[in-house]
Amino acid sequence: MDKIVTPQDKDSSLDILKEKKVTLLEVLDRALNKGVVISGDIVISLAEVDLIYVGLKLLVSSVETMERLRGAPMSGAKEEAT
Amino acid sequence: MRTEQKDLIYLYCATKTKPLFSNFDAMGVKIYPIYSQGIYAIASSVSANEFSKDNLEKNLANMKWLEEKALLHEKVIEELMKDTTAIPFKFPTIFQSEENVEKLLKEHNTEFKNMMAELEGKEEWGCKMYCDADNFDRHVREGDESIKKIDEEVISSNKGKAYFLKKKKEELVKDVMNKKISEYTKDSFDRLAKASVKTKINRLLPKEVTQKKENMVFNGAFLINKKWLGEFNNVLDYLKTKYADKGLIFECTGPWPPYNFCSAAKDING
Repeated sequence: MDKIVTPQDKDSSLDILKEKKVTLLEVLDRALNKGVVISGDIVISLAEVDLIYVGLKLLVSSVETMERLRGAPMSGAKEEAT
Repeated sequence: MRTEQKDLIYLYCATKTKPLFSNFDAMGVKIYPIYSQGIYAIASSVSANEFSKDNLEKNLANMKWLEEKALLHEKVIEELMKDTTAIPFKFPTIFQSEENVEKLLKEHNTEFKNMMAELEGKEEWGCKMYCDADNFDRHVREGDESIKKIDEEVISSNKGKAYFLKKKKEELVKDVMNKKISEYTKDSFDRLAKASVKTKINRLLPKEVTQKKENMVFNGAFLINKKWLGEFNNVLDYLKTKYADKGLIFECTGPWPPYNFCSAAKDING
């Protein structure tokens, strides 16, 4: 299950792993937004999590931006769509 | 410099079996299990100076702190995944007392057990698709018959008509691009989904986030039976070859803890 696989492993079924580069973004996108949400004794709301992203300059301004981008794969391409 | 504040309990994940704890000293982290009715919550004792609500809010805005803690969260779960089925908790999940954690495990016992059964022998893989604009643009302009036809008309037209046709052509290009990118991502998703147990489509991330020059056109997670990983990989290879000259780029990462497949209630699809 190691994530680092050398390029020589050409025919291994783990070929896929070669691309693996755990970026902070990948980890944050999962760990902060996904996973089992249970009410711990200390609750940090999602809004605050979004603020973190802004603080990191990793993320856009707002959730709305994300929502807009979701529906429009190519930038500008679906501007006139409903 | 510690104040007299009481320590808190930080949870990483729930596991099916009691894990081996030997590997964690090297990571510089002390973890221990809290057990109740067949489920283990894997915990660390953390300082309220860092993880009380007020301090946590401050720390979450600190990039360095967040990076270190989030990566540790991930690393610990990945290590545990080597030996057992793990259900990751959202970062950060904090409790005041072990009794409260036990209560949680009892209250949600059936849910945890069902999740364990569902996730056993499976792992999460992430797949993002990006569109290389130059390559894609060329592919569309050179490969589409209706666009080629306008090009030919332009040559045999006078200035005025050519201007009009060129405008029309750009609209058509935009149209064809949209259709193609939808077609390609759907085809890719369908094929990858066939080699998976479950799928999850996530929001697209903008360039400010990905810091890539290409636009993200698909972002999804796939729950794969470990036995089928080879098959999933074959599909991916096929897709990469198929779309190599069409401007579609694939980036798959994993195995991840099944973050995307353990919250039954929320559905972000669509």
